[in-house]
This record gives sequence, C-alpha cells and structure tokens, in this order.
Amino acid sequence: MTEAAPDRTDPLRPPGEPGLTPPNGEGAAIASLTDRPDAVLVKEGDIAGDYLERLLDIVDYDGDLDMDVQGDRAVVAIVGDRLTKLVGSNGATLDALQELTRLAVQQQTGVRSRLMLDIGGYRARRRADLTRLGTKVAREVLTAAEPASLAPMNPFERKVVHDAVAGIDGVRSESEGVEPDRYVVIVPT
Amino acid sequence: MLEAALEHLVKGIVEHPDDVEVDSRTNRRGQTLEVRVHPDDLGKVIGRGGRTARALRTVITSIGGKGIRVDVVDTDEVH
Repeated sequence: MTEAAPDRTDPLRPPGEPGLTPPNGEGAAIASLTDRPDAVLVKEGDIAGDYLERLLDIVDYDGDLDMDVQGDRAVVAIVGDRLTKLVGSNGATLDALQELTRLAVQQQTGVRSRLMLDIGGYRARRRADLTRLGTKVAREVLTAAEPASLAPMNPFERKVVHDAVAGIDGVRSESEGVEPDRYVVIVPT
Repeated sequence: MLEAALEHLVKGIVEHPDDVEVDSRTNRRGQTLEVRVHPDDLGKVIGRGGRTARALRTVITSIGGKGIRVDVVDTDEVH
C-alpha cells in the first residue's frame, strides 16, 4: 500500500471502487480482519492492551504491557514486580483476568478470542516447571512400564505437559476426568 | 477505586457500557459491590454457568481483599 489514503469525499471516485483504503480507526481494523489473520491477532492484542492498561491505571499498579503474536494466538504480557495480586493463588486471578480480557476482545471484534495473558512471568515459569515435570514423569513411566497420573491442571497446563511428553519416544499422554479436575495420564506405548 | 475497577471490567465486556452502574454498600458483614447492567447484557456479565461473574469476583477480591462481595443485580427481578 504505497498510495496515500484517498480523500473520502472525492466526488470523482466511483462508489465501492476496489482497493479503496479504509479510513483510519475502527473501520480500518475491521476491514483488515477478514483478509489477514495476523492483523486480527494484532488487533486483539491492542484491544486487550487497552483494557488491561486502564485497569492497571485504576488500581495504581505499575506494569508494562508487552503485545505479541505467537503461532495462532495473541499474547499479552503484563511485566513488572509486585503484580502477585493479579496472579492470585495458583494463577486463579490471572486466569480470571484472561477470561475477562478475551470477552472484552470478543465484544469488539465479534469473534471468540484465544488470547493468552501472562502476568509477572507466571505462565512462563509455570511452563518451564511443567515441562520439567512432564519429562520426569514420562521417564519414570518408561522405566516402570506403568501409566502415571498427574494432578488436575487447567487446559493451558495440560497442553504444556502433552507437548513435553510428545517429545519422548515410548510414551504418550491423554487427558482424563472432567473440568476443573481434568488431569494428564502418561502411558507407555 | 474498587468500584471504578469493577465498572471498567464490566463496561469492556457488554453491549451497552453506558448502562453499567456499580454501587458500593457497606454493612456489618462487609462491603458489597452491586453491578447493574442493561437487561440484554445480564447473560454476558453472568456467563455460562456463572463463569464470568465468578471471574469478576476473583479479580475484585484479589485486588480488594477476601471480604468484598460482588453481586450482579438482576434488574428484572426487582419488585
């Protein structure tokens, strides 16, 4: 797109001409939603960032927002110290905020969001811990040739364990039980 | 500050943000934040199986302390 945005009031421009640059703001973002999946995710991150930034302002917490796209989802991270209240015990508050942020995104885009929120590096640390745990238990399952069950985890945590187990030959993993008590079982193949 | 935080969280997820109202009441059992929204938004604020209301509660008690209650007022039920 090298041309400057055309004057929208240009009387010579035929209506509905293809290639029309949408006006800035809301219209531009929505127009690009349909043809560029990445633009959708960037837009998701922006909406989420606004929603969370305002919350931080109101409660007077210091935190910097980091927006990214990883694979097929938008990732928003609030970086800073003293954010433990927003993480909560076992990440419960983080999960609640992620849920609300996804709804805020959906409210504006009309599309269900799979946005991932991290606060104070909690998910990053948890991912490292769970990868280590999944790998360790998978090795034990290999040695003992018997299945092993892990503690109940949320979908994000189970996915991390599944990914860790998938990298090891001779074992596979599946999820059993019903939310919120769904857990990973690692079995020898 | 808590009212403003809750109001902001709710306004972002509803169709009619101008109709969102949060009132704080304090009695001997502690503080209750009452949320009122446009009737069409009630389902959104409560969520499937109360999931969204629960998320709002989790965030608000995390910021403000365990004693704080969050009530979503069903305006249709007011006599």
